[in-house]
Amino acid sequence: MARRRRPAAPKGRDDDVRPIAALGTFGVTSMILMAVMLLAPVVKVGPSEGELAPDFSAQAYSGGEWGDFRLSDLFNKSWAPGGDGDWIVVQYIDTDCPYCWNEGELMSQLHSQWNKEVTFVTVVVELGIQGHDSSRGEVEAFRDKTPYDGCKTNSNCADRPGNPHSWIYIDDLNARTSGDWELPGTPFAALLQPDGIVAWNPQQPGNHPDGEEMGGALQRLVGGS
Amino acid sequence: MALDAPLMIFIAGLAIASAFALQARSKDGEDGTRAMIDSGLTFSVVGLMSSGWTYAIHNSLLDSGESSMCASEGLVQCGSVIGDPEWNNLFGIPWGITGLLSFSLLFFLFLSLRMDMHAKWAESFTTYSLLAGFAGLPFVVFLIFVELTQVEGAPHICPFCTVAHLSLVGFLAAAHALRGRKQSGMWA
Repeated sequence: MARRRRPAAPKGRDDDVRPIAALGTFGVTSMILMAVMLLAPVVKVGPSEGELAPDFSAQAYSGGEWGDFRLSDLFNKSWAPGGDGDWIVVQYIDTDCPYCWNEGELMSQLHSQWNKEVTFVTVVVELGIQGHDSSRGEVEAFRDKTPYDGCKTNSNCADRPGNPHSWIYIDDLNARTSGDWELPGTPFAALLQPDGIVAWNPQQPGNHPDGEEMGGALQRLVGGS
Repeated sequence: MALDAPLMIFIAGLAIASAFALQARSKDGEDGTRAMIDSGLTFSVVGLMSSGWTYAIHNSLLDSGESSMCASEGLVQCGSVIGDPEWNNLFGIPWGITGLLSFSLLFFLFLSLRMDMHAKWAESFTTYSLLAGFAGLPFVVFLIFVELTQVEGAPHICPFCTVAHLSLVGFLAAAHALRGRKQSGMWA
């Protein structure tokens, strides 16, 4: 009696197709990426000079109450060198940092000199240092120079050098933007062209005349004041 | 928002992928399995393309502040969703790039199966496909939540993001059906 044989299950190919499939996947993905680059080239975003400043949206205080703010709303993308448009100073501070406290005076001077050509934005972060506990109340008091104990750790905000500041203060106490801005410490201030491209970053002194600070950068790049 | 050409192409892709899946359900054996793999492959290609498109929109929004690739006002739009600096990133990487990489993985798994349905690793690849599809679901739910509640001026619906989300759901359904075929002996 002949033995009945079970039909053999289909067998796979002798060669392993997975490397070829991986190559095919790489090819398809690369083609799509190339098409994307042709349609809309990648824009370099970062705090370095020549890069588009990292955008952020946060709550802002401009004297009355807190409201929505988005940095890129200040950008004029059609700006060309020599054209109209406000330059932007983005300053990072911690209301408990003594250097930021002292810089209040310089910022008042710069603002009074440049406020027609430059929009000032101060972003307030809270550094992870003992005693550096901030709050929106402290941010308001630091900006407005109103009585509040706690600025510069244990000073009264009303004693801050300089005048009350009339520009926007941003609440970034949770430090959500400082990573994108590669914040080296506080105070830190960068100057942006009206189209949002970083024009001056103090961390790149090799690109600037010797010893240039924000005032000199404004004079050199914005001029006319 | 008007149905522009890229969106119509993506929707057509989703329809073709769904047609493959329906065809697969009505067929037994190898033909049905192959049709189901084709369905998943098509879903992953649509996912790849729509992710690439959202990345292109992201780049053009950065470059010029607006994009001709998608509307920037109204309920159905991309500007407030893809252009939102706070939400359109996963650890600093735009969601378009994340989508491209994720759908590449899904495409690789199904392309391998398509090239050799009877390989020894076919069963484990069906499992990996299902797990990878499931892994993407929480992100889809999160992104829909962001669109509807978190972005500036919410709610908004980004049509190209929705195509990518539907692609993942379609792929997951195909992967689930394939695994069912493998386990029930209907593979070939």
